Amino acid sequence: MASRVLAMPINRAVVREAHRRARSHSRAIGFLLVPVGLLLVVGLGSILSASSVLGLRETGDGLFYFKRQIAWLGLGLASLILAATIPLRWWRKMAFPLFVATVGLLLAVLLVGVRSNGAQRWLQIGPITIQPSEIAKLTTILFLATIVSRRENSMNRIRDFFWPVAGSVGIVAFLVILQPDLGTTLLVAAGAFAVLFASAAPFPYIIGSALLGGSAALLAALVSPYRWARVTAFLDLQSDPLGSSYQAVQSLVALGTGGLWGVGLGASRARWSFLPNAHTDFVFSILGEESGLAGSLTVVFLFVLLTVAGTVIAHRAADRFGRLLAIGITTWIATQAIVNIGGVTGVLPITGVPLPFVSFGGTALVMSMIGVGVLVSIARDQPNIAVTAR
Amino acid sequence: MEQEAPSRRNGRLVSVGVLLVIAWTLIGYRLTVVQGARADEFAARGLEQRLQSEILAADRGTIFDRDGRELAVNVEGVTVYANPREITDPESLASLLAPWLARNPTDLAQDLASDAAFVYLARQLDPESAQPIRDAGLTGIHFLSEPRRVYPTGALAAHVVGFVSDGDNAGLEGIELFYEAELAGTPGVLLVERDPQGRVIPQGEYRVEHPEQGSDLVLTIKSEIQYSATQALAAALERTGATSGSVVVLDPESGEILAMVNLPSFDPNDRSGAPVDALRNRAVTDVFEPGSTQKLVTIAGALESGIVAPNTSFEIPPRIEILDTVFRDVTVHPDRLTVTEIVAHSSNLGTILVGDLLGIRRLYTYMYSFGQGRPSGLDFPGEAGGVLRPPEDWCITTCLAGTSIGYHVSVTPLQMAMVYAVVANDGMWVQPHLVKEIVDGEGNRQAILPLARRVISVETAAQMRIMLEAVVLRGTGSAAAVPGYRVGGKTGTTEKYLPDIQEYSKEEVVASFIGMAPIGDPQIVIAVVLDSPQEYASGGRGAAPVFAEVMLAALHHVGVIPGG
Repeated sequence: MASRVLAMPINRAVVREAHRRARSHSRAIGFLLVPVGLLLVVGLGSILSASSVLGLRETGDGLFYFKRQIAWLGLGLASLILAATIPLRWWRKMAFPLFVATVGLLLAVLLVGVRSNGAQRWLQIGPITIQPSEIAKLTTILFLATIVSRRENSMNRIRDFFWPVAGSVGIVAFLVILQPDLGTTLLVAAGAFAVLFASAAPFPYIIGSALLGGSAALLAALVSPYRWARVTAFLDLQSDPLGSSYQAVQSLVALGTGGLWGVGLGASRARWSFLPNAHTDFVFSILGEESGLAGSLTVVFLFVLLTVAGTVIAHRAADRFGRLLAIGITTWIATQAIVNIGGVTGVLPITGVPLPFVSFGGTALVMSMIGVGVLVSIARDQPNIAVTAR
Repeated sequence: MEQEAPSRRNGRLVSVGVLLVIAWTLIGYRLTVVQGARADEFAARGLEQRLQSEILAADRGTIFDRDGRELAVNVEGVTVYANPREITDPESLASLLAPWLARNPTDLAQDLASDAAFVYLARQLDPESAQPIRDAGLTGIHFLSEPRRVYPTGALAAHVVGFVSDGDNAGLEGIELFYEAELAGTPGVLLVERDPQGRVIPQGEYRVEHPEQGSDLVLTIKSEIQYSATQALAAALERTGATSGSVVVLDPESGEILAMVNLPSFDPNDRSGAPVDALRNRAVTDVFEPGSTQKLVTIAGALESGIVAPNTSFEIPPRIEILDTVFRDVTVHPDRLTVTEIVAHSSNLGTILVGDLLGIRRLYTYMYSFGQGRPSGLDFPGEAGGVLRPPEDWCITTCLAGTSIGYHVSVTPLQMAMVYAVVANDGMWVQPHLVKEIVDGEGNRQAILPLARRVISVETAAQMRIMLEAVVLRGTGSAAAVPGYRVGGKTGTTEKYLPDIQEYSKEEVVASFIGMAPIGDPQIVIAVVLDSPQEYASGGRGAAPVFAEVMLAALHHVGVIPGG
């Protein structure tokens, strides 16, 4: 009786603590999913406007791209729910097979991939094309998080640091840069960097590998005149406004035309063949033109919410794997958005990466949504109350 | 250790999130710059690359004759143009279009393949011939409404009305040129945003400044008289073998030109193949030495000065020799002639005697006063002023004598008609003009008010008219008689001055007759000038019958009853 009386307050505290944690986790999930949902809606609207002129001209159907994106969105939602309901430990178990499969797909791209615009990035499977490099972002981070979480505290020697990193990020980055797809390589590296940085791995090694990767990327840009032109073009947009900096200039024109409040939904001028890839890499310009600074800052704010929510989920994750995976996914998505908007606003080189949840593109959309699903799975993965009771 | 590590790691984790948020802040700042501080600069650049202005042609004014008959009108025209950027297969499109446009397929294919967003394929087709192209519904082929200038009366008043340039309908000759500002109106402007392929952006800026319609012109020309004069002149060229000719019919009281005809002429609807010579309005641009018709100025000047009276008689010598030059009379007449008879017989020697009494300075003054040696100020482009040398440049030998009888001076047919108009109009010179009224787009009518000045007195003019009647009744101009009307006028036959050899031709003459009717109160003045007639090569036999024919028609059409 006495013990029961004694146990009661402890139990109540534990239960209260568990409830508090559950509430705070569901709040974090909310802060994650609400911006994602809003971004998806904004994306659909922007694609509808940005692609209607192109769709009408190419296929006779102004809704052509919009309909396809709706289909991909359905697949994405199903994937998100599935990814969220898969227990986190399953993700850990699937990490290696998924990574191997990804490497297989990337090799397949190099061998039998579809070439377009000077790059070999796509695999044609029946009526649909997929972009394995988009898949690689998630699976590489997943695999790296798995290895690092296992041997976090034994990575003090350079050998022990080098091989896991080289064996995951290194392979993927090498295969992706051969396509070539510098933008995606950069994002994989950013995600990996975050995973390593948040781990207990020695700081100098992380910085060293980052510098190494950075110089490799610079070298890759230098050897390709087309890529180098893009890099230098962003430094001086006026040098060649009809050539290498055409897109960047047109993007700024679109954003400037939008001004503070925008020209109105569906009233974009830039989509009238001024801005190439208006519905994919440059969808943010159309969005900014139609909804103005008000709209574009709102989108930025939604991404900030998403970034913070992801970081909070990582911070509160129950174990090392969850925290590393969560910060890796968050960094990947956030960096991708920053690189995209940075390119569109002329402060970063244009690397051809889509804006997550907003740009047209099936594989990217589905993979970003799976990433969000994994974040939800991490947030939901709470240790048994009994175990935590200390 | 186990407590230390997670917190250090948490610190690193949080710093990743913080780094990302800092990056987002920079992005937000950049957006504020692009869409806020520098928005106008980028927006202006965008507008500049999209905004295009198009000229909207104004409706050119219609040209009517004095009775409201259309002489120059606009009809609907369809201009076909291409946007080559929308065209994928120029060759096959060219071979399809070529027959419809009546163009060479190779040239057409070149146009269709050019690197522009706008290329004319054919301008101002009539709507029926453009219809099959419209029906074909071809991508990249577009249509514009561009009115075409049409002259319903063809060659009838071609020299007066003139014509416009193909395509943009700008006045090139005649009234079309002289009144270009009034006829053309003010073109409008369409400002529209277009994409790089030239398609209109529906939500873009769209401003229209509507064109202002050009004014209509009502000419002084009376088509019936113009027609009669053309017929009579054509018949005269046929009969006499003259190379060209002009007829001017005018109302001496108002200065209104009722008809102005030149042959050869041309069809302003199809100028291709018309020789350049045929395009000239000779009545206004070409000069000739007037010869005997000029005697009116000498005699009128002498009468007005009071040196002679109509019945003052002169002893006419058989000839007058000045240095190497010998003046003779070509007609047979008594040895003594009154001034009236000098005119009636067109006596060179009599006129030289009268002119000698008048003197160089006074003769010059009267010639100038009658409007010789300067353009009349007709509302017509390129009017010639003729040649009248200032008195100090006249030679002291033959010049006074020669000028008295119409040599050493050159005039246009119009100027010569105006000399007679002064006599017809009781001594008043009224500026000749071709446009009676200007009617603007709102229907406001503005009448043309001609200048007027006195040249000789009413009495002198009346005396001169009696002498001119005598020319027709008893003298050299009998062929100018018009049944039922009293007619006066003067013949002229001039040896043609050949500027190439600076000598007078022995074979070629300019035959003219200038006169008026009814002589009591003249309503009509007509000048007929024939260049180089082979048969009937004199004013009396070549030009006077034309005068008679046209005068009868003119009096009839103006409604002058026979008698006066």
